[in-house]
Amino acid sequence: MVEVVLKDITKRFGKVVAASDVSLKIDEGEFFTLLGPSGCGKTTTMRIIAGLEQPDKGRVYFDSKDITDAPPYKRNTGMVFQNYALWPHMSVFENVAYGLRVRKIPKVDVNKRVHEVLDLVKLGDLAGRFPSQLSGGQQQRVALARALVIEPEVLLLDEPLSNLDAKLRVEMREEIKELQKRLKITTIYVTHDQEEAMAVSDRMAIQNKGIIEQIGSPIEVYSRPRNILVATFLGQGVLLEGVVEKAEEPVRVRIGDLTLHGISSMKTEMREGDRVACVLRPENFTLEEPKAPSNVFEGVTEWTAFVGPHKEVKLNVGGVGLLVDVPSNVETVVGRRMRVYICQKDTIVLPLEAS
Amino acid sequence: MIPRSALRRLKREFDLMTTSQTLIAFSILLIFLIAPLALMVGQAFFHRGIVSLTWFFDIVGNVEYVSLASRGGMLFEVYRETMYIWGLDHGILLNTLLVAFVVTALCSALGVIISFVMARYSFKGKEIFRVLLLVPMLATPFVNAYVIGKLFKPDGGLVNFLFYDLLHLLPWRIDIDGLVGIILAQTLSFYPIVYLNVFASLIKIDPSLEEQGENLGAKGFRLFRDITFPLSLPGLASGSIIVFIFSMEDLGAPIGFIGARANPLARKVVSYQVYSSFAEAITGEISPRTAALAVLMLLIAVASFLAIKQYVGLRAYAMLTRGGRWSPRIKTPSWKAQGFIYLFLTLVVVAASMPQIGAVLLATTNWAISGTLPTMVTGEYLRALATNPDVTRAIVNSLLYSAVAVAVMIIVGASIAYVVARRNIPGRFILDIMATMPVAVPGITLAVGYFLYFSHYFRGTFLDPLVDPAVLLIFAYSVRRLPFTTRAIFAGLQQIDVSLEESSLNLGAGRSTTFFKIVIPLIAANIVGGSILSFVYSMSEVSTSVTLGALREDRVPITFFISQIVYGVAAVGAVSIGAALCVLLMTVQIVAMVLSNYLLKQQIAFLGV
Repeated sequence: MVEVVLKDITKRFGKVVAASDVSLKIDEGEFFTLLGPSGCGKTTTMRIIAGLEQPDKGRVYFDSKDITDAPPYKRNTGMVFQNYALWPHMSVFENVAYGLRVRKIPKVDVNKRVHEVLDLVKLGDLAGRFPSQLSGGQQQRVALARALVIEPEVLLLDEPLSNLDAKLRVEMREEIKELQKRLKITTIYVTHDQEEAMAVSDRMAIQNKGIIEQIGSPIEVYSRPRNILVATFLGQGVLLEGVVEKAEEPVRVRIGDLTLHGISSMKTEMREGDRVACVLRPENFTLEEPKAPSNVFEGVTEWTAFVGPHKEVKLNVGGVGLLVDVPSNVETVVGRRMRVYICQKDTIVLPLEAS
Repeated sequence: MIPRSALRRLKREFDLMTTSQTLIAFSILLIFLIAPLALMVGQAFFHRGIVSLTWFFDIVGNVEYVSLASRGGMLFEVYRETMYIWGLDHGILLNTLLVAFVVTALCSALGVIISFVMARYSFKGKEIFRVLLLVPMLATPFVNAYVIGKLFKPDGGLVNFLFYDLLHLLPWRIDIDGLVGIILAQTLSFYPIVYLNVFASLIKIDPSLEEQGENLGAKGFRLFRDITFPLSLPGLASGSIIVFIFSMEDLGAPIGFIGARANPLARKVVSYQVYSSFAEAITGEISPRTAALAVLMLLIAVASFLAIKQYVGLRAYAMLTRGGRWSPRIKTPSWKAQGFIYLFLTLVVVAASMPQIGAVLLATTNWAISGTLPTMVTGEYLRALATNPDVTRAIVNSLLYSAVAVAVMIIVGASIAYVVARRNIPGRFILDIMATMPVAVPGITLAVGYFLYFSHYFRGTFLDPLVDPAVLLIFAYSVRRLPFTTRAIFAGLQQIDVSLEESSLNLGAGRSTTFFKIVIPLIAANIVGGSILSFVYSMSEVSTSVTLGALREDRVPITFFISQIVYGVAAVGAVSIGAALCVLLMTVQIVAMVLSNYLLKQQIAFLGV
């Protein structure tokens, strides 16, 4: 188990910047996720950790040991590739045993360890099969077993679940999380699926266009996004643009005819007259006034949709559109007026970036 | 100064595996391709110690080589009920270019029509024609032209006997010989190259492109002219350039015709001139004029190859659009149209298979001495393959050379393909270009280069062609076939995902372990398939075999032996033994094709071009 540190890592492919001054510190035994839209550079960042790509600038450390120039085969990381990369000409056993055989482990131990790890991923009886004879989920487990059997210092998972169907994805992510907890192995996980990321991670980093936008626990990042990009990437919600009227918390923002009070998760001070956006998540609205200080909206129901667990309602509040989740049992009629509340602590005020 | 990070990167990229692969590839290509050609080019441009174009002016200004006025020959002239179609002599160099142009044009026309019919129409027996159309690719070096010469003899040739004497369909007897004979023989054996390339192009065209054309109102010939044909041009371009180069350097047809009819016009091509100067080479010298002639061919071939490559590169749009439903546009034509197709294809197949049928007849009957038709079946000639010590020795030599050549080209080809496909090192583009170059290097040019280089710098060693041409033949085969081997392995590498190698590196295996344990097993089918085809190619290679191979009697390969027989050096009736050797070559080739098709499961692999 090691602590992984990236320092000012930059990597370009032609004109595309895949990693831009990325600095990360991943703790020993931590489950850390790189989350971002496709093409944001998260896989490149992981491949730099694995040694499969070489950064143009910056250093990589495992436990304060600089391994930037070490080739991939000397880093002792275990990587699960997005497409699993199982060798079609080798059986499950041979695939898993490969890393041990390369390390010249005695045959008896190889046998023992391969069978142990196959049992761990519940594939004990499939050792003799070839990858083409396995289902997607089973292939995934083989890939995981192959990465785990060498007892890597860091486990690297590159979108490991993206090729599985929805149900299996949830099952496997629980299994992976559980295994990781049991083995206490430093794990870096790459995904573009925010729900998956939040479900498994101790901490996560949101990466976009090569830049790390925010690092934090899932709940921190979700409820206290540092900028609009993170706020819109994670979860649903509307952005209402306005101007700061009072900079002290709770910040007062004027949006057309509306005045809102909210909190700013930015470290930098806000000033009166700054252009900002308020992020309002649909699930944070209530129909009754909450005890905590809140904002209130009254508007006309424009449309409504039943989506199972709740209803989605679009309210027109003086020309501004709001997305609101309401319980399924509430009657909603298009054209009728409706009043909703949102706590001030759930009203996130973010500066508008000059993009 | 080189920045330190770049040095670090180089150090990382050049691990033991990559270093040895790069070194092997570069050194073999340098010694056996670049250096000989460079020396030859140098000699051709030197005259009495100074750089000059003397030798080139000597060629271009000589009416022997370039003559705008005809210097003899007969074209469509009728004497005594015989129409003579020999071609006109415009000098050796112009003749060669004319022959190559006409052959390329004929092969292109034939190839485009056949491939269109085969790709777009469905009719009964199509699969049989698919196989029969490729029969001309079966190697019958020298014997093919000999057979055509024999069939078109004015007195006693089967064609004239049948259509003039028996059926009275022709107003005169027809005598095809000389340059026209070479054109006929080459067209019949080279058209499959164009056919296969255009066919491959045609089946890669997204059907929706043509459907869109139809949707906008184009149909029939207009659709073909505006959409289908332009989209298949890259295939036509690459097929026809190969035919052009093959035709220029071909020795089989000239020697075969000289053997059959002794017409001096068949000698008036560059390839034959270079060949005959090797007869004098046994004394240890090749005249700089021969070198200049070889260089001239090299320049023409390379220039046209580069032009075509540029052109194909610009038009590689056939596969631009992908996706959507891919239902091939195959029509079943009317009965009348099918009749035309049968007639056309049968004519092509019968005409083009004459050399192969003829070779089998010559080998199994007394046709060589019986006149118009064979009168007796005999196993005497096929038996000679095992009993005649000279023949057996040639077979053993060829088997040995080919086997070693295949090993060399696999090692070099796999090294190049891997470095080019997977490693990011400086010089890999040069490696790529060098590995493709032999496509555009005429075999006889390479032979001249080898002779000059190795007899000069390696005098008296085992690499000196005057001491022992065996090693040089092996490397000549390897180098000439290298582009195809490299491409076959490269194609295999493209099919395997890089992550399969990366996961091996990730698990702690170094580059060489990864190469041998992961990469090689995964591309084994490509390697074996490529080796089989390369083996066949080496067995039937002509240009260097009949030039370098001539330099030592006990080292001659099969093809040189056949050329000697057909050329008439041996006694009457011996041509049948040459034909028997061709039957052997064809058998090896058929077995190899079946094997490699089974391994690669793709018919295009047959050709390898």
